[in-house]
Amino acid sequence: MRYYENLVIVKPTLTQEEIVSSINVIEQIITDTGAEITAQNAMGMRKLAYPIEKNLRGYFQVIYYKAEPSSISEIERRFRINEELLRFVTIKYDSKKEVKAWENAVSKLNTPVKSEEPVAQETPVETPTEPAVQETPAAQE
Amino acid sequence: MAERRKYKKRYCKYCESKVEFMDYKDAALLKNTLSERFKIMPRRLTGNCKRHQDMATIAIKRARAAAIIPYTISRKEVVINPFEIIGR
Repeated sequence: MRYYENLVIVKPTLTQEEIVSSINVIEQIITDTGAEITAQNAMGMRKLAYPIEKNLRGYFQVIYYKAEPSSISEIERRFRINEELLRFVTIKYDSKKEVKAWENAVSKLNTPVKSEEPVAQETPVETPTEPAVQETPAAQE
Repeated sequence: MAERRKYKKRYCKYCESKVEFMDYKDAALLKNTLSERFKIMPRRLTGNCKRHQDMATIAIKRARAAAIIPYTISRKEVVINPFEIIGR
């Protein structure tokens, strides 16, 4: 099993439900070949740097997965058949540093909710400090 | 020589921030090695070290294929948006 990443751009003309279903189809294509998906990152609707098939926008989805090297050609062949895809980019993470980067990205994506909560908790902690600052000029007076 | 003076401080910005792996999705990282027309700048102008230049070129080429960074920009677009595309 090797570490791979796939960036997929879905057509912007579809409705949200269609986008979700087309991404499910993409997931199935990957899992059908015996690969396991570890993380996903929905970058959402973005402006494309250049028009692709006369589309100016696209729905970006990044999928991290482990797969056998031989299964990649099958995945790519099926992606080419799929007409809802504007573009896909497959990337192999091979060397030790790349694998580390892959693992970091996956762990970051799998624990986003927890990392956001402490930030939300910190903000109320900061607010009491502001009155404290206001008190100090009063003390000086 | 005029170009030399323009890029006077020559040190590897990636070494300074200790970049171990360059992600092609992070367009802000690649900005250092791109010219205003989104060409890859040579090492003698940016001062990148060889290792990071190689990493940057691979990442830039991947980002171009993924429509995150344009391949080229026409003369009109250059005036309108220098690096505005990257922020979006």
